[in-house]
Amino acid sequence: MTQQLLNAIFIGSIYALFAVGYTLVFGVLDVLNLAHSAVFMLGAVITYSLVALHGVPFIFAALVAVLVCGLLGLVIEFVALRPLRRRNAPPISALISTIGLALIFVAIVEQATPGTLFSWLWQDGANSVRFPTGAVPNPTYHVAGLTLEGTKLGILATSVVLMLVLGYVIRFTQVGRALRAVAENRRAATLLGIDVDRIFASTLFLSSALGGLAGLLFGLALSDISPYIGRDQVELKGLAVIVLGGMGSIPGAVVGGYLLGLIEVLAFVRFGSNVEAGVAFAALFLMLVLRPQGLFGARLKERL
Amino acid sequence: MAALLQLTEVRRHFGGVQAVDGVSLEIESGTIFGLIGPNGAGKTTLVNLVTGYIQAQSGSIRLGEDGTAAELARRRPDVIARMGVARTFQTLRLYRNLTAFDNVLVGMHARRRHDTLQQIAPLPTFQHEPRARLAKASALLERVGLKPNEYGMRRAGTLSYGDQRRLEVARALAIEPRLLILDEPAAGMNPVEKDRVRDLIRQLNADGLTILLIDHDMRLVMGVCNRIAVLNFGRKIADGSPAAVSADPEVITAYLGRQAEKTGAHVPGAETATIATAAHQDTGASKATKATGRMLEVSDLEVAYGAIRAVRQVSFGIDEGEIIALIGANGAGKTTILNTLSGILRPRAGSARFLGIDLTVTSPDRIVRNGLVQVPEGREVLARLTVRENLELGAWVRRDRQAVHREINALSERFPILGRRRDLPAGQLSGGEQQILAIARGLLARPKLLLLDEPSLGLAPQMVDAVFDVIKQIHEEGTTILLVEQNALRALEVADRAYVVETGSILLSGTGAELRRDPAVQKAYLGG
Amino acid sequence: MDFFIQLFTDPVLFYNSHELLIAQVGVNSILAISLFVTFYSGQLTLANAGFMAVGAYTTVIMSLYLPLPLPVDILVGTLLAGAVGFLVGLPVLRLRGIFLAIATIGFVEALRLGVILNVPITGEGQGLKNPGADPLGGIVPILVSLPIIAYLVWRLTRAKVGHAWAAIREDELAASSNGINVPLYKMIAFVIGALLAGYAGALETHINFFVDPTEYSVTRAIQILTFAVAGGTTNVLGPIVGALFLTSLPEIIRQASAYRDVVNGVILILVIIFRPQGIVAGGGLAINRPRWWPQNWRLRGRAASAN
Repeated sequence: MTQQLLNAIFIGSIYALFAVGYTLVFGVLDVLNLAHSAVFMLGAVITYSLVALHGVPFIFAALVAVLVCGLLGLVIEFVALRPLRRRNAPPISALISTIGLALIFVAIVEQATPGTLFSWLWQDGANSVRFPTGAVPNPTYHVAGLTLEGTKLGILATSVVLMLVLGYVIRFTQVGRALRAVAENRRAATLLGIDVDRIFASTLFLSSALGGLAGLLFGLALSDISPYIGRDQVELKGLAVIVLGGMGSIPGAVVGGYLLGLIEVLAFVRFGSNVEAGVAFAALFLMLVLRPQGLFGARLKERL
Repeated sequence: MAALLQLTEVRRHFGGVQAVDGVSLEIESGTIFGLIGPNGAGKTTLVNLVTGYIQAQSGSIRLGEDGTAAELARRRPDVIARMGVARTFQTLRLYRNLTAFDNVLVGMHARRRHDTLQQIAPLPTFQHEPRARLAKASALLERVGLKPNEYGMRRAGTLSYGDQRRLEVARALAIEPRLLILDEPAAGMNPVEKDRVRDLIRQLNADGLTILLIDHDMRLVMGVCNRIAVLNFGRKIADGSPAAVSADPEVITAYLGRQAEKTGAHVPGAETATIATAAHQDTGASKATKATGRMLEVSDLEVAYGAIRAVRQVSFGIDEGEIIALIGANGAGKTTILNTLSGILRPRAGSARFLGIDLTVTSPDRIVRNGLVQVPEGREVLARLTVRENLELGAWVRRDRQAVHREINALSERFPILGRRRDLPAGQLSGGEQQILAIARGLLARPKLLLLDEPSLGLAPQMVDAVFDVIKQIHEEGTTILLVEQNALRALEVADRAYVVETGSILLSGTGAELRRDPAVQKAYLGG
Repeated sequence: MDFFIQLFTDPVLFYNSHELLIAQVGVNSILAISLFVTFYSGQLTLANAGFMAVGAYTTVIMSLYLPLPLPVDILVGTLLAGAVGFLVGLPVLRLRGIFLAIATIGFVEALRLGVILNVPITGEGQGLKNPGADPLGGIVPILVSLPIIAYLVWRLTRAKVGHAWAAIREDELAASSNGINVPLYKMIAFVIGALLAGYAGALETHINFFVDPTEYSVTRAIQILTFAVAGGTTNVLGPIVGALFLTSLPEIIRQASAYRDVVNGVILILVIIFRPQGIVAGGGLAINRPRWWPQNWRLRGRAASAN
């Protein structure tokens, strides 16, 4: 059981990291970035590609992947989001355009087999792979009857450190305050001299970098890297997490992530793997019906 | 005559604010009843309570002559509409993508039978009803002054502003209401258009319709209503004939901010004098005297929102060290001017130069960096951030952390509120405290020109005093200020020079003292 | 290219050799129309994939275990989908915009993962074999019902219901002030969408020998969304055109079939940015468009006589 709880913490960390990126964009831009899960997948794919196809050491590959994912965030902003803002399009449009980008990202990887256009990136088409053994140092420790893998500890450590750093930046730095200002009241922020477009671009960069990191950590922890890990593993669960925690709330995303990890593990232990999968959505559905703003979110009102 | 609508001790609060505080009134059948009051007094909240968009927390709202009266409180908006209460919206809510005919036809919804089967099999015998509906829609359009042949097929969003307002009335009439509530039907219109609105209201009333009218235009309200109620801070402070209400000292105070002087105090009643649009002369005084230099020069500014010309051919200038006031009623275009100066809106024509830069093409953040800072209407403090964080963000454009730190401390000493509440979320401060925070925040950006938009809005009289003291202080310390205010008399007390703005144009200008004594100013201010 | 050549020179042969494709286009059109109905009332829902599943599974299960004629099975499947739609709509329709979309996503996945994959009668992960399927005959009900459905939906948009939907889409608050019972009409649109999706799901099983749970996922819902958005959300033809174009695209351009999703994605982005009302924009969102409105003649007559 304790082993399971540990698993819950590890997987919860990944959910939390993913959800924080998701909710950051929603809080600041009022947009649900459905390409986020595709970036998650690309984080894993790019890291794998560098390590397995190009022989780059893991840590370095991971850093590069995270950076590239951040840049992909800029692509999302400039291709799918900014043009819509310039045209005063309704928020639903952003949903659709990010869906479009996600489709493109996934399809590119899905179709990449040896001899195709993108074979430098990926050669396994729709299959799932894992990091080559030995590519990532993974000492195991045995403590108090529990098995602790080095990689999973690394994941936990990275996640916690990152979330602390992010929390610090948002709460205590001028940039963090500017972000919160834009999230709360775009006009007031503009009148303070904040360049809102720049804030949006930075937010997307940061959010996508986090998403990519979550992806590569996922691929590492669960030995599962495929074009579909975004869609199958986190896209909808990520939604469940931010709905649970409250859309736009970062502490909510963190709490929600660990909460979901916990719920899933408990459901698995109690009911078996079949129910576990549907649990996230049952939770999502219930929360939306009972308390749409989630645990930490703010109520939404329309002015007459 | 019997009362058609009867409100008794209606109450509604939001958080700590009593938006409507025990209001009781009666509207007699067949009359035109006016509801007035300063911004934030609770007029629209009251309307939303009557029409079901907000639930009253206590009190009753009864519709219908005694005996057949039905309770409206706590019912759904569509149910209330079907009971015979129609309304227009302050912010104009037309179905913009639908044609004018469509809008009116939708308005008829409640009076229309379900015709799914008839529509599925559109036999000639079934054409009778759609044609009747269309005929009725045409008649309604005619009634509000829109020719069906010209306007019927046009998309509502493409109509001119005045026509859109009229279309909304036609749509409201489609439900054959017993009571029609008009929420600022003449907002943003010029005197000619307003007169047409007035005529329409009279016409509808002559046909037997009971009307509840909410508006800021005193000339319109006084000229057309049989009876008027005045709200202030959620309470009714007067209720009677137009003549009685306009002479009521408490009403005058609420609107003007202080007891109007005996001489020249002239609250317009039924006068229909049109404002003398004598060519506005920018008082050559400013050009001649202050050699310290022109900071801001605005020429022939034209700003429009779609079809609405919000600012028309506005020109004025500000010299270093002055306080200039822009006064005028709600909707006159003052905030639009400020937002154009801050770069949030772009003009259709005209120019605005500030210390050598062209405000009409510079990005908003650069404008702030260049020293033009706005404290917006409604304060817009960042409610979820603390007082201290708000202040720190005020200095966003600055690099000198040490100096900022010192200044924040200095401001906290000077305005003890900021010091005491420094770690509280700004949303928890009272209105007046927030205003002071907003001004302090603006100061931290080291503005060369500070734009203040309605600093006294929604504030109790003592807080207004405090705020204006602050404004005087910072001006004495050398900040150039452009002040926009509905509270004309207070603004004119502090201003060196002022401009009166009405429906997007500058009507009068002069020094503060001159305009304060000018009876036409009162007319213009209250009649704008 | 030979695709088009065959289409125009020898339609009969074209039909025979592309039956499955035509049937699929038909099914996708009905699905896209089901989305159109909810769109028309201003709601973005992705629940159709779930309602499809209800219709599909019910029909097949009934045909496997009950000796009832197929049309009955289809009818029951459709009605059951509508009933589920009603139940799902009750809690969900209070939500606006994004939250509604997310809730419906939640429903679809909960249905698929929680119910379908766990209840033995559905064959769980393996799906169900449908020996009664009739790929050639099955196309007939599809081709017959599509124009009927399109016509009915079109006429609905002209009826009182349709006017209410358009008003709600444009401005919900104003709609209530015009006496429109907003929650009621939203539910009506939602249930009709569910019925249509259930019907399409039932029809689709008739042309496939196999019912597969992965067919009814959010991915499918997004695909249908693409048809509706790209085709046009202003009138009934839009979704049909969208379904037609995007379903047959992989057939027309062989190379595209591999990168179909890329093409879908690009089309989605381009359409939503540059032509948000879709390919078939028609007369815009107005209910009564000038050229199709017979009353126009009456108007002109009246105008003429008035002068």
